[in-house]
Amino acid sequence: MQTPLTIPVPVLRLPRGPDGLSRGFAPDGRRAPLKPEVPGIQECPIAQESAESQEQRARANLRERYLRSLLAMVGRQVSFTLHEGVHVAAHFGATDLDVANFYVSQLQTPIGVQAEALLRCSDIISYTFKP
Amino acid sequence: MAMRQTPLTCSGHTRPVVDLAFSGITPYGYFLISACKDGKPMLRQGDTGDWIGTFLGHKGAVWGATLNKDATKAATAAADFTAKVWDAVSGDELMTLAHKHIVKTVDFTQDSNYLLTGGQDKLLRIYDLNKPEAEPKEISGHTSGIKKALWCSEDKQILSADDKTVRLWDHATMTEVKSLNFNMSVSSMEYIPEGEILVITYGRSIAFHSAVSLDPIKSFEAPATINSASLHPEKEFLVAGGEDFKLYKYDYNSGEELESYKGHFGPIHCVRFSPDGELYASGSEDGTLRLWQTVVGKTYGLWKCVLPEEDSGELAKPKIGFPETAEEELEEIASENSDSIYSSTPEVKA
Repeated sequence: MQTPLTIPVPVLRLPRGPDGLSRGFAPDGRRAPLKPEVPGIQECPIAQESAESQEQRARANLRERYLRSLLAMVGRQVSFTLHEGVHVAAHFGATDLDVANFYVSQLQTPIGVQAEALLRCSDIISYTFKP
Repeated sequence: MAMRQTPLTCSGHTRPVVDLAFSGITPYGYFLISACKDGKPMLRQGDTGDWIGTFLGHKGAVWGATLNKDATKAATAAADFTAKVWDAVSGDELMTLAHKHIVKTVDFTQDSNYLLTGGQDKLLRIYDLNKPEAEPKEISGHTSGIKKALWCSEDKQILSADDKTVRLWDHATMTEVKSLNFNMSVSSMEYIPEGEILVITYGRSIAFHSAVSLDPIKSFEAPATINSASLHPEKEFLVAGGEDFKLYKYDYNSGEELESYKGHFGPIHCVRFSPDGELYASGSEDGTLRLWQTVVGKTYGLWKCVLPEEDSGELAKPKIGFPETAEEELEEIASENSDSIYSSTPEVKA
């Protein structure tokens, strides 16, 4: 049977996707409410600052340790646990600025060894290596 | 010249899309929220699929998502054992409601004052959103994890589905009114307030029951296992999708299969009609949402119909008497000159 000749419905453009930088909800968007200026609650500002700066220091510490762990991983064999029970191993190369992707080489996959590959961090559940 | 469906693909999620919901029609149009296993539910403009924002905060896969009627609030149910309520205008998290197990489903009442949740702990919970610190009211009775829970009959009753049963509860007395048993796993449930219709899918069946009495109205069989189905607001059509990656559109009155579309690269987990019935959205294992026109070729949202007689060069006018022109050549002519920027994967009726 001959398929009837058809033209695909034209579209003005594709739906816009996330901008990859922010979480969206643009303040100048159509539904943006006028945000009332919340009067600063100045109760114990010094105590608040101290708790905040403590947290900030702890966070900076943890971040530094994490970045150093990434440096220690360079060139090493790393085992990754991915979603759906998949395990792969590879030599770690580098990560990008947001740690969104891992650049690896000699990726051992169930369907063969990939010389160079990018692993999406959102696909990784955990990874382990011996320094 | 017959028009072929051009689905609009909304990308952005990195893992399977497991649930989606539309808001009601608001002065700003209507909105769409999608729940994803990547833990980052997204809000989109309903008629175009344009991304508005991502609700950040969950620490696990988001299994259920819903919007209130005027799309000012959103609620999400996640594998991190919490349900969260969000400001859908600013994207800010308003409340985190701790549960004892994975939360699968959330639903607002019409007035947005109460939130119904259900999940793997087999309990239905009703939270008073004006008193978030107060303990929720709990309804027990399910013997397996709750997959979907919905308010019905003007929020006076609750419908809930677990693996093999659908139960109707009275809100005031918190007791079970009636239940339905299935020998196959219930995959989805939709409640249509106008007409009090309940749409239930299980196996390859798409069944319609009265939401008041749970009595069966009718049911259809699809060619493959169906994961979700939706009834058109005017009850002329229904759409369904499932394990064969295809979307089916049926005439509700006759049960005749009208259209079917390939396009997704994985099983379809959820499908819903928009509140105005002009389009339907599908969410898939492939991580995308697709918007489909109910009436193919109509000008609506991003779809722009150009009638052959009045084209201004946007669509190439096929010359009369071209029996030897292959369909591929015609497609090329059409795509080079039209606004259609999709690569044409053949999506004709199977």
